[in-house]
Amino acid sequence: MAAVAFLSPAMLVIGLFTVVPIGLTFWISLHEWSMYTPLSEMSWRGLGNYTDLVGDDGFFTALGNTALYVALVVVVTLPLSVALGMLLYFPRVMGRGAARAVLFSTYVIPTVAISIVWGGLYAPDYGPLSQLFGAWDPTWLSSPDTALAALVIFHVWQMTGYYTVLVIAGLTQIPADLYEAARIDGAGFWRQTAHVTLPLLRRTTVFIGLVAIINAIQVFDPVYILTQGGPAESTSVLSFAIQRAAFQHGMAGQASAMAFTLLVLLVALGGVFLAAARRRS
Amino acid sequence: MRRTAAAAAIALAMLPALFPLYWMVISSLKGPEELQTVPPTWWPREPSFGAFAEVFEAVPFGTAFANSLLLSGVATVSVLVTSVLAGYVFAKHRFRGREALFWGVVATMFLPPVVTLVPLYWLVSSMDLADSYLGVLLPWLANAFGIFLMRQFISDVPDELLDAARIDGAGELRIVWRVVTPLLRPAVVSLAIFSFVFYWNNFIWPLSILQDDAKFPVVLALSQLLNYSTSVQYQNVVMAGALIASLPTIVVFLLAQRVFVASLSRTGVKG
Repeated sequence: MAAVAFLSPAMLVIGLFTVVPIGLTFWISLHEWSMYTPLSEMSWRGLGNYTDLVGDDGFFTALGNTALYVALVVVVTLPLSVALGMLLYFPRVMGRGAARAVLFSTYVIPTVAISIVWGGLYAPDYGPLSQLFGAWDPTWLSSPDTALAALVIFHVWQMTGYYTVLVIAGLTQIPADLYEAARIDGAGFWRQTAHVTLPLLRRTTVFIGLVAIINAIQVFDPVYILTQGGPAESTSVLSFAIQRAAFQHGMAGQASAMAFTLLVLLVALGGVFLAAARRRS
Repeated sequence: MRRTAAAAAIALAMLPALFPLYWMVISSLKGPEELQTVPPTWWPREPSFGAFAEVFEAVPFGTAFANSLLLSGVATVSVLVTSVLAGYVFAKHRFRGREALFWGVVATMFLPPVVTLVPLYWLVSSMDLADSYLGVLLPWLANAFGIFLMRQFISDVPDELLDAARIDGAGELRIVWRVVTPLLRPAVVSLAIFSFVFYWNNFIWPLSILQDDAKFPVVLALSQLLNYSTSVQYQNVVMAGALIASLPTIVVFLLAQRVFVASLSRTGVKG
């Protein structure tokens, strides 16, 4: 009895506001609905929204932007957080704890607030980054060629501290006598890294990779604050495209078709990930 | 030698981490003219706190701050209660389908919020709760991460302790409240901090469900402030707003530093 009473509040909230909406997303995706009219005015479209998506350049642009964004984030973040984690774990240096705290602090600040700050950093002429890197004539957020990369830099800056802390937690799990043994065998720092640290950190790095992918796919706030998907749709990622289609353009059916397609892609990706993990172990 | 090199490398890594925060502070202290100088100044010539007052005149920032405290405060308390209760059942009670249900809950952690945004809006507005505090709060009253975290920690509580309490005639609620929760203090504190920061920072849901700016949380007021003044000379006001919006999360994080560092250092340090 107690079990039911204790479980039901959490299950009710998660069931009603997470599980039920997954089904509803699919249901709405089969309709035309403008968000701000009653649901009774929803009209059936069948798979019409999905066939529209296939012919919609905007959707494929958003899909491609999201894939590129996620790939860049993961490729930069993983090695960087492993390197920083090792740097903040192995050498006995004063102020390591403070350094960890500083790195982590970028993660707790509201993304909206810190996006605004990065808008200032990236500003042409008045911005310090345009000043510092003036020799390369950087365009940051103002050119379609660089805007997505500028958002990736921001994301990496914000999240690396968090992943570094996860790496440090993983490093504490590696027994010290393994390094002792490697040292007796005459292995230097690089060989210890290649043969002890990295192999034993595998579980941690796979986990961080997964979390980094999830976090990067969800990116919304900096796009909304800094670029609104522009210039020329170059930073229109799926989260932003879906929210804009529904809440700015009142096309809930199309938005839901995009959302459900994203979900299917994620489930497929998760399946591949799990299968790979299982084959390894 | 190597230690000096490491210290230098760490210091070098701190620079890019801290620079945006530094820029936020000095920009909020600059005057309108100084903000328009090219190249930008790296230290305010005549630091002034005027921009901080202007934030509250431009948008209802004080109300927004109170709204954020209310929303993230209520959400945090609710998440703590629901997570401890559900985590306890998942850790200590046996019933059919327990593992399937638990991992089903965990799986929802990986769901991008945007996938359920439209139906969530529909659900909440069909309850006539669109544009209300309660409407914002409903989906925030429990979360999968909290349940996962609490189950992991409660699994470590020895069964003997619970059995002893049962023999003494304690009911389940009393066991959770008097026996389990006191042992979980670091985990509960961590979850409280994560939840508070998470809901304080959450933007996409309030943005989608709220219209009335009297109910806006501080992150929405910030985005409003940005629309109010896109011109460079108002950058000090916008940066002051960003700073004020960030303060509670930084304060909470610094207060929790001890718990955080303790959980890291408990695992031992190697050289």
